[in-house]
Amino acid sequence: MVFGPIPNREYHEGFMRKAIEMAELALSSDETPVGCVFVHDGEVIGRGINGTNASLNGTRHAEFVALAEIMAKHPPSILKDTDLYVTVEPCIMCASALRQFGIRAVYFGCLNDRFGGCGGVMTVHSDPGVDPPYPVYGGLFREEAIMLLRKFYVQENNKAPDPKPKKNRELKTEILPITTPNVATPGGGTPSLELNKPILEKAAVAAKAQITQMK
Amino acid sequence: MVHLKTKEECRLGNETIRVYTVELPSKHAEGILKVIKENIEGQDVIDLQHLRRFAKPKYLPPHWSLPVRKRTEGRPPTLYLLVCPANLISLKDVHDLLLQHPPFCSSADSWAYPLEIKEITVPMLAPTSPEQAAEWSELYWPTFYRKTNPFGAHPSSISKAESELQEPATDNIALPDMMKLAEEAGTATEKLGYGIRTGCVIVERVDDKTEIIAVAGDARLKPLPSETREDASCTSGNVMSHAVMRAVGMIGRKRLRVASSTQARDAFFLDLPLTPLEQQYFERDNLKPDGYLCLKLEIFLTHEPCMMCSMALVHSRVGRVIFEHRMSRTGGLTAEMVRNDTGPVGLGYGLCWRKELNWQFMCWEYTAAEYALREKEKEKARVLNGNDTEGPDEDHPEQNTTTATTICTSNAITGSHDDVNANLGMPSFTSIHV
Ligand SMILES: [Zn+2]
Repeated sequence: MVFGPIPNREYHEGFMRKAIEMAELALSSDETPVGCVFVHDGEVIGRGINGTNASLNGTRHAEFVALAEIMAKHPPSILKDTDLYVTVEPCIMCASALRQFGIRAVYFGCLNDRFGGCGGVMTVHSDPGVDPPYPVYGGLFREEAIMLLRKFYVQENNKAPDPKPKKNRELKTEILPITTPNVATPGGGTPSLELNKPILEKAAVAAKAQITQMK
Repeated sequence: MVHLKTKEECRLGNETIRVYTVELPSKHAEGILKVIKENIEGQDVIDLQHLRRFAKPKYLPPHWSLPVRKRTEGRPPTLYLLVCPANLISLKDVHDLLLQHPPFCSSADSWAYPLEIKEITVPMLAPTSPEQAAEWSELYWPTFYRKTNPFGAHPSSISKAESELQEPATDNIALPDMMKLAEEAGTATEKLGYGIRTGCVIVERVDDKTEIIAVAGDARLKPLPSETREDASCTSGNVMSHAVMRAVGMIGRKRLRVASSTQARDAFFLDLPLTPLEQQYFERDNLKPDGYLCLKLEIFLTHEPCMMCSMALVHSRVGRVIFEHRMSRTGGLTAEMVRNDTGPVGLGYGLCWRKELNWQFMCWEYTAAEYALREKEKEKARVLNGNDTEGPDEDHPEQNTTTATTICTSNAITGSHDDVNANLGMPSFTSIHV
């Protein structure tokens, strides 16, 4: 259960707070506001913000930035005793990387229903595969994670050259309740989007679509 | 080169639907069709354009065993009409409807045409090749191949790409050379002890002219500043340094350099050149300025990439991917899971063409004739030598039955790629994420 109860929630919220702070940093540097920290023995050993715009590299996600920092100081095996806290569910690429590294557990804020690899679109963390699966826990500061994404889309929209209808420039503050995310589909089957469309972060996606359309 | 099937093609290709058919004299065909179109609702919802609306008896599947009739029997020619999907109307209702209209209503010649509605199974979705259309016509009902594909790249795009790749314009590098370069890139990093001999080449095609803009080998085993060589724990190494991730990273760095003559600052990534071969292509400012990520670039790979690398290609918006060796236990591009002749062939992710993702690209498995010959030679050498000291087996993944879960130290990987060693407790190359 991706959005099941999280034992010792306050402890994990402490690290998710740090991830949220990283996401805020991303927002202020005009990157999609996703932030993360990797925690080993109660200590942050790597932190990252999304850097795809600055690097002109579509794979430079927050997790990769943090992992590169970790690799500079620690052997890859340290990740087997390390947990990740990330504001948005890891994408399919990051979910696979984390599994190959042997991450111990992943805690995230909101679902990623465009690219999510831990339940949002696919279930790379738990599908049958050569590497052991890892547990994921979603919903830590979920509303804040979503609001950061919305702020970013509104910010991007306001920067666009031509004027936009006012409604797209206003920040929506209502957040839909959690619905059941996609269940595991062994063998990489299609989690049936039609039947079970995740509607959580739709507002943010819709806002983004509007922006793209207007550009 | 063989174009990969998409997830949708594998999943939906064999879906069928029940429909009603009826035999009627040709001269009444249009009249009855009009009646059906006007009276049965919901026919627009299901697209059956790939099926003939009217079929001559002689084109119906052989298993219908229709009696062969000659004109001399005095019976006017008849056609079979595909009425509509059976879920739109009950058999009784369609029966009652047709009975109200000629030739089935109680007019003079109605006795000659007893109304017999037959419910049959037909393919629900359009065939994706002429061969499939022919097969379905034999099995179900006359079926058209309309040169469209709702589940993958348009057939004309695929053939255009294939001819560009297989019959390169003068001065453009030929496909086998591209594949060879990818192999060399992998061998170069492997020789240094940095990687597992998998390689990647990225090509930009501008106005029919191709340019090699990045070459990278795998570098997951390159010693990190933090690492001592005796780090003997089982490890996948530095996962971020797979050949694809490095090549994509090089493109980003090149774009930055061309756009602003500044270097990317993040030195933590292993996406700077490590071998003279990589350097040779990295130092050329030969990519089109103002490009976006790896938009529509062409990627040549020694091996099918893992899920991480496959999704990296999606994020990077690549256009065409050609890989040589299928990785049936770790690859992210293959949509097929099982083949009748060879058994398991892949995990079934098919990331190259997933409609739920925001980007799709064409993908081929490279199957050069020369390659097959070369393998035969190798096999011969192996038999002559009486041992397996050389030659990967990842192109015969179905033979592998080991269940190794991770790869071990660098020596274990670079020392051997053979499954033979799996029997000695070492992992097999087929379980490695490329
Ligand atoms: Zn990979």
